[in-house]
Amino acid sequence: MWKLLLPLVLVAMLLVGVGLMEPASPRADVVVINRGDCNTLDLQQMSWLQDYRVAAALYEGLLNSDRFSAEFSSVPGVAESWNISEDGLVYTFKLRGDAKWSNGKPVTAEDFRYSWRRALLPDLKNDYATLFRLIQGAGEFYRWRAEELKKFEAESAGAARPVEARKLWAETVRRFDETVGVRAPDARTLVVTLERPVAYFLELMAFESFFPVYGPVVERYEQPSAVTGRLEFSSQWTRPPLLVSNGKFRLEGWRFKRDMLLVRNEHYWNQADIHADSILMPSVSDPNAQVMAFQTRTVDWLTDMVPDYRAEMLAEKEAFYREHWDEYQKLKSQGLDPVAIDRRLPPDPRKRVHSFPTFGTYWYNFNCLPALPDGRTNPLADARVRRALSMVIDKRNMVENIRRSGETVAGSIVPPGSIRRYTPPKGLEYDVEGGRKLLAEAGFPGGKGLPEIEVLFNRDGGHDLIAQAMKRDWEMNLGVTVRLVQKEIKVLRNDLKNHNFMVSRGSWFGDYGDPTTFLDVNRSDDNNNDRGYVSAEFDELMKRSDAEREPAKRMELLREAEAIVVERDMPLVPLFYFSSTMLFDPDKLSGVSPHARQKQDIGLLGVIGQKTAGGRGPFAPREVPVVPAGGGAR
Amino acid sequence: MIRLIAWRLVQLPIILLVIYSATLFLAWQIPGSPLDTPDARRPPEEVIRAMEAQYKLDSFWSFYWSYLDNASGVRYAREWVSGDAEREREAALAAGKPLLQRRMFDLGPSLQYDDWRVSEIIAASLPVSVAIGCLAILVATVVGVAAGVAGAARPGSALDAGTFVVALVGVSLPNFVTGTVLLILFPVALGWGSIGRLAGPGDLVLPAVTLSLPFAAYIARLTRMGMIEALSADYVRTARAKGVSPRGVLLRHALKNAGLPVLSYLGPATALAVTGSFVVERLFSLPGLGQHFVNAVLNKDLFLIIGVVMVFATLLVLLNLAVDVLYRWIDPRIG
Repeated sequence: MWKLLLPLVLVAMLLVGVGLMEPASPRADVVVINRGDCNTLDLQQMSWLQDYRVAAALYEGLLNSDRFSAEFSSVPGVAESWNISEDGLVYTFKLRGDAKWSNGKPVTAEDFRYSWRRALLPDLKNDYATLFRLIQGAGEFYRWRAEELKKFEAESAGAARPVEARKLWAETVRRFDETVGVRAPDARTLVVTLERPVAYFLELMAFESFFPVYGPVVERYEQPSAVTGRLEFSSQWTRPPLLVSNGKFRLEGWRFKRDMLLVRNEHYWNQADIHADSILMPSVSDPNAQVMAFQTRTVDWLTDMVPDYRAEMLAEKEAFYREHWDEYQKLKSQGLDPVAIDRRLPPDPRKRVHSFPTFGTYWYNFNCLPALPDGRTNPLADARVRRALSMVIDKRNMVENIRRSGETVAGSIVPPGSIRRYTPPKGLEYDVEGGRKLLAEAGFPGGKGLPEIEVLFNRDGGHDLIAQAMKRDWEMNLGVTVRLVQKEIKVLRNDLKNHNFMVSRGSWFGDYGDPTTFLDVNRSDDNNNDRGYVSAEFDELMKRSDAEREPAKRMELLREAEAIVVERDMPLVPLFYFSSTMLFDPDKLSGVSPHARQKQDIGLLGVIGQKTAGGRGPFAPREVPVVPAGGGAR
Repeated sequence: MIRLIAWRLVQLPIILLVIYSATLFLAWQIPGSPLDTPDARRPPEEVIRAMEAQYKLDSFWSFYWSYLDNASGVRYAREWVSGDAEREREAALAAGKPLLQRRMFDLGPSLQYDDWRVSEIIAASLPVSVAIGCLAILVATVVGVAAGVAGAARPGSALDAGTFVVALVGVSLPNFVTGTVLLILFPVALGWGSIGRLAGPGDLVLPAVTLSLPFAAYIARLTRMGMIEALSADYVRTARAKGVSPRGVLLRHALKNAGLPVLSYLGPATALAVTGSFVVERLFSLPGLGQHFVNAVLNKDLFLIIGVVMVFATLLVLLNLAVDVLYRWIDPRIG
């Protein structure tokens, strides 16, 4: 009998051993569930929203985004001042003397040069290499390096050539120094020369991809491969205690799929901007568990709330507002931000759910190419058909009855109020009669003669419901036949790339505070122009806006360009602007930005009334300053 | 016995090679590019080309051989023999750099989690899964065997029917239902344990119980069947005639034989339990291995897919071997 028990004893012993290995998670001032997980802390490989939220806390760029300003302005960061040459091509940044890395070393212009060189290497998986090509000589440098690497690998044919590999790397560094327009005349001056004038270049400086990494450490984990010549790198440096950062926080702990712990960076120059000594981000991926963790007070902020019952929670909040309607209206008319309003209303658990507009738009693409992938003529190549289809979609129904998460109907691509000084065009009105007339004009009265329209979308995420509503609108209002085709996201992405669709689901999130971050996808030569849309008029306006130095005039040109897309040509039909639903107690937590740009910085969080070890007084909440009525645009 | 172990260990690399080939072949068919992120941005074509070349994603065979080269240790051995490794080490030292860690079995980078290598991901998540899996198997064996013996002692009794119903429920109720019920009952309603983090070994209990239910139910049925068969055997009658107490007959004589099918089931069951469960891990926010079986496929993270499949295959082979060895040791009749 005891022999039979042996396996059990073995298992039990193994278990005890493993159990002892599990240290508990530490406590922290603020606990955040940041969507699911961080993918990377390597700035030059980043592309996920949740990673940028952490990056903003860990690193600091030449400029910062002021997330609590009405216009989401770019304010001095590492650079204390800058000037721009007459022709708009040369930017000279003066770095502040007290900007320090978390190891106490000063942040230098050379750090930026190193990081940007890294961003421009084809050796790395950098989705944003394109943005760096606005810098003079950068595109040429990238192509040269890619070409050389290809040659090197072919020549080695599997054999190791360490000497040549090092030589190629030295040559790469030399080429960057000589040909790319990023120079550092001294440690505190960075001179950037652009390929062409870029009106939004300062906005880019506040975008995390342009923030610096700490070269002296990162470099030690990179080495040219003797066989391929490529820089082989180990991401070891993104782990504590190796990661050196120059932002408000430094990385204290990171356990894969467990948690990430940030602590205050004592060397950060602006200590007054830090409101917590430590921030913990446990990794919780199940949407229901996320909500339960918040409800049991394990977590202070749930950044992205997705379960279906968020609609009910938002409805309850609406009911709460109704109960305090007069006061709510009064506060609203004072121009307070939504969180500030919540703070001034009596405490109530229903206040803890929030829905803020996000810097993104949900739309449907129309294939604009003259022929469909199977060779048939494409009826959607006629802009009138696209316009007719766009006019008869009942977007309000989608937002109010299907999505039910506080989103608003979209007429434009750029969400209104998200970019300073830019007012997007209105877009097309919901007009069934007008749509019918237009379709008849295009030669398909009552939908007759129009082939079946295939609508492509991906599973999950509720996209099926939107597609069904659109099908019903088109069939009932125009008499066309619609077929819904559901595919996996990866397949959908492939079809989009190859223009292999008639109508397909799409969406876009902006990266930086300029309309081009949304509008560029419609340029005929843009890599993300899935629709095959070609308009010389649009391209011309975009080109003119590139060259325009007067901001007001430039915004007008961009507005005209967007109007062509969303009022006349309709290569895509915007349905609604995304909003994101989150959970936090407004009476406890401060630092979540309600701005329509929705680029959060986890480093701004703090518990209201709590004293931090930094030695400052109790922390008062950050709020967007009240703008006097009618004085929005400066 | 030695021959058995040696033979199985010789088989292991061959089995792994076959599984690797099949897995890669299937994973390669997943549509889309593993370098593509599902939000709407797409880097320029030349960037994609450069990335593909870097990870050998440009052709099936180049990926097949280069992965095999790295993961099998062949490359490591080759560089060591040819002296390249030594030269590289000297060059790195001369340049004042710490040596990039050369791994004997390099499972490659994760394409989804850019900062982590597959070996690190497995090293971080396997212990968690092993802890929960072992605990679950422990619970399942104790509960299952007890229920099976109790049922077999009086077939047709209320106790037997009761354990049958419980076993049926255990097999049919999916993890996400039992897990959610336990979550709502304990941490949310009673305030025991925590949600969303692994704060201590105590937080392993609920997931382990959830995971154990289907195994417990199956073991209960196996034990009951074996016991009923054993109880009608001649040697049990002899034991009874000899005057052994009913308890002694059940536990000392009948269970010994009835336990063998349970033991053979424990091999694959343990392999299954310790490599993690997607549902249980997600529900209890545990950083285990199970989630990668699903997520890696959705992301087409080729290196990670192959990595976790290889771990699972290795565990399966080794645990089956362990069961066979135990079998022979417990029951000398098997030769």
